[in-house]
Amino acid sequence: MENVVISGMGIISALGCGVEQTLRALREERSGIGPLKYLQTEHWDIPCAEVPFSDEELRERLGLSAEEVVTRTALLGMVALQEAWQTADLRHTPDKRLAFINGTTVGGMEKSEQYYLDFLENDSRNAYIAAHECGACTEKIADFMGGFSYVTTLSTACSSAANAIILGENLIRAGLTDIAVVGGSECITKFHLNGFHTLMILDDAPCRPFDATRAGLNLGEGAAYVVLEKESSARKRGIQPLCRLAGYGNACDAFHQTASSEEGTGAVLAMREALKTSGLQPSDIDYINAHGTGTRNNDASEGRAIMQVFGKHTPRVSSTKAMTGHTTSASGSVEAVIAVLAIRYGFIPANLRFGEAMPELSFTPVPHTLENVKVRNVLSNSFGFGGNNSSLIFSAVDPGA
Amino acid sequence: MEELIVKLKNEIIDVLNLEGMAPEDIADDAPLFGEGLGLDSIDALELIVLMEKNYGIKLKDPNEGKAIFRSVKTMADYIEKNRKF
Amino acid sequence: MGVYIGGVAAVSIQEPLSEEGIFRPVAYSSPQVRCIEPEFRKFLEPMVARRMSKIVKRAIVASSVALEEAGIPMPDAIVSGTGLGCVEDTEKFLDAMVRNGEHCLQPTFFIQSTHNTISSQIAIRLGCHGYNNTHVHRGISFESALQETMLLFGKGSIHSALVGGYDELTPPYFRLLGRIGYWREEVKNSLHIVQEPAAGTFAGEGSVAFALSENAQGAWAQIEGVSISYACPDFTREAGLFLHRLGLNWKDVDVVMTGKNGDLENDRVYRNLSLPAGQTTAVYKPLCGEFFTAPAYGMYAAAVCLKQGMLPASLAEDGKEIKGIRRILLLNHWQEKDYSFILLSSCGD
Repeated sequence: MENVVISGMGIISALGCGVEQTLRALREERSGIGPLKYLQTEHWDIPCAEVPFSDEELRERLGLSAEEVVTRTALLGMVALQEAWQTADLRHTPDKRLAFINGTTVGGMEKSEQYYLDFLENDSRNAYIAAHECGACTEKIADFMGGFSYVTTLSTACSSAANAIILGENLIRAGLTDIAVVGGSECITKFHLNGFHTLMILDDAPCRPFDATRAGLNLGEGAAYVVLEKESSARKRGIQPLCRLAGYGNACDAFHQTASSEEGTGAVLAMREALKTSGLQPSDIDYINAHGTGTRNNDASEGRAIMQVFGKHTPRVSSTKAMTGHTTSASGSVEAVIAVLAIRYGFIPANLRFGEAMPELSFTPVPHTLENVKVRNVLSNSFGFGGNNSSLIFSAVDPGA
Repeated sequence: MEELIVKLKNEIIDVLNLEGMAPEDIADDAPLFGEGLGLDSIDALELIVLMEKNYGIKLKDPNEGKAIFRSVKTMADYIEKNRKF
Repeated sequence: MGVYIGGVAAVSIQEPLSEEGIFRPVAYSSPQVRCIEPEFRKFLEPMVARRMSKIVKRAIVASSVALEEAGIPMPDAIVSGTGLGCVEDTEKFLDAMVRNGEHCLQPTFFIQSTHNTISSQIAIRLGCHGYNNTHVHRGISFESALQETMLLFGKGSIHSALVGGYDELTPPYFRLLGRIGYWREEVKNSLHIVQEPAAGTFAGEGSVAFALSENAQGAWAQIEGVSISYACPDFTREAGLFLHRLGLNWKDVDVVMTGKNGDLENDRVYRNLSLPAGQTTAVYKPLCGEFFTAPAYGMYAAAVCLKQGMLPASLAEDGKEIKGIRRILLLNHWQEKDYSFILLSSCGD
């Protein structure tokens, strides 16, 4: 079966704007988690990983006027899509069918929560009523670049972007599109900050994934897209593939609406399925970019699942959420970009703030960036509320192929 | 205390939407979680909100709730001692 | 290997879990109509149901009836479409947060606010660890979900699936959408909404679930193809290409069932279709009202027609019953941006 490769990518997160800034921040172990600057909330003291640009700055960067009806989730998506578009050189593809699949849960909630009373009582904010929908957000992003003949939106909470990647590869394999731009976009809102707060899973300090003393997650925001196409298609266009999507798995934990099962049933199934579709053995995996949110429940459950799948020889594991925060619906593609960078530049990103091993796990995460490592295959986990678990495997491509 | 217990039972039935249940269906010292009423971790979070909203008691750690929410009786005892209003 | 509808169930503004509403639909005279609820107690234990919002309860009931009918205890995949997701619980959380401030908010409403609550609650109830996904793309959410499911069948990774379209509309959200021109101020007879075009339509709701498998025996209909298209420049041409890809053309289609809803702008797109002369057309939105996943009700109506081999007067656009129906093409668009195509055929004798 022909390879489906990643021929371009774009990203914006608390680590900065673009692949270059992201790469530098990762290698320098810089965390984007800190005090809130832009979101207006009573919970100003809860640390988050905000994208370091105001809406006005994002509009300016994109050349959008102040009147343009657009939400922050869409703005972030546009920035990431623009970069993905440029790196994959999609300008010159009039003969190709292009699909755009976006994962989001927040959608336009950031404006809806500000304008809620206006929505109910007067006509002053009518333009933003329809912008609330996840699909509206996706279309706004798609229309910014244009040219897509297939556009849809997925929402499986924190695995949305990973599922967008899976759907994109299925569309290409089925011959329904030539190129699929896939990923997710999500901004921080009061709604979701408060939601996670009511679940008592937000750490009031910067998070410590896979640490025995971990006390919760930090919300992040961002957007990232990868461009998928068949290897022959990319090479014919003169694009050197960045890596290939080697495998994927989607399974449901079917345990609880917010908690993961103790043994990580869904996580085990998703990882095993990803290994199966990739044709790789557990020992072929060089690095696991874990979901690793930093909550008591996730890290224990995911850690046990990793032990179950990989046995005694656990590959190197880290959660980059200690740097990016938990970008929820975008996390699957934010971490896909990180996986690609790890393969391309031969390094393992750090699991910041790790201090004390979890007694129930046989492995500890990589505490500091490891350079000069041969990284051929990366497993990336994204697990969502409701047990929506997805795992992806990215593999190096032979440059001369 | 008796009054508080009845009030509390009504509040629990209301906030946890225990349809068709009456205060007298919940024994004062019956376990709320697991075997007894069969409540779960989300219910525990709802009870934490109830304590703050109706009695001004803030719990920082959901684990603190375990002992407090053993039964309506233990909950009432804790509220009696710590209530702000 | 074909994909067949082995079971289907709908909770809608017509009689729940019954085909009665297709043949003898209830007429309404209000711009917002909510679902007629089934007897939830017959399906859900109170302790389990207590935290579920209406949309989740309806989805669970519809899906369990559909699966039971198809004889599929455990589907290989659960894929749902919902345009707006769990609006009721989202609003409860949002309303409390905006009006009372960011404290003492109830976790349950947040937990149930996410769009994937429906798919995951169905999975939890069934103990189903298979493929699970949720599509949330405006007026084609259901078709998008259905198309992904067909891809999974096509590559052989699943052999059965539960697919559904689920949407609820609360009175406040109805008012919001009314502000931007979705609804008519007055509706005299919902069943005549297409025959009496005006600006706006009327709002419905629905939870429609389909149990799909590769078993044709006793099935309602075969799903021959599904496609979605974004901003397609020529709806008729795109529909023709869709048929062509399936090795068919317009003369193979007995009935074209459109998403007409009586709104002048919405229906103009369907009026501008260049269908073959004398093509029989049908409409379903007068029966179910407009909502983001109304096309799921459309597919349900089409499946009922194919099972019976006839198009009832209640669905026929000219009000005339037709017998001998074997293939139905469903066309839908959302604000002239999102387009969908579904082709169903009868399983024959």
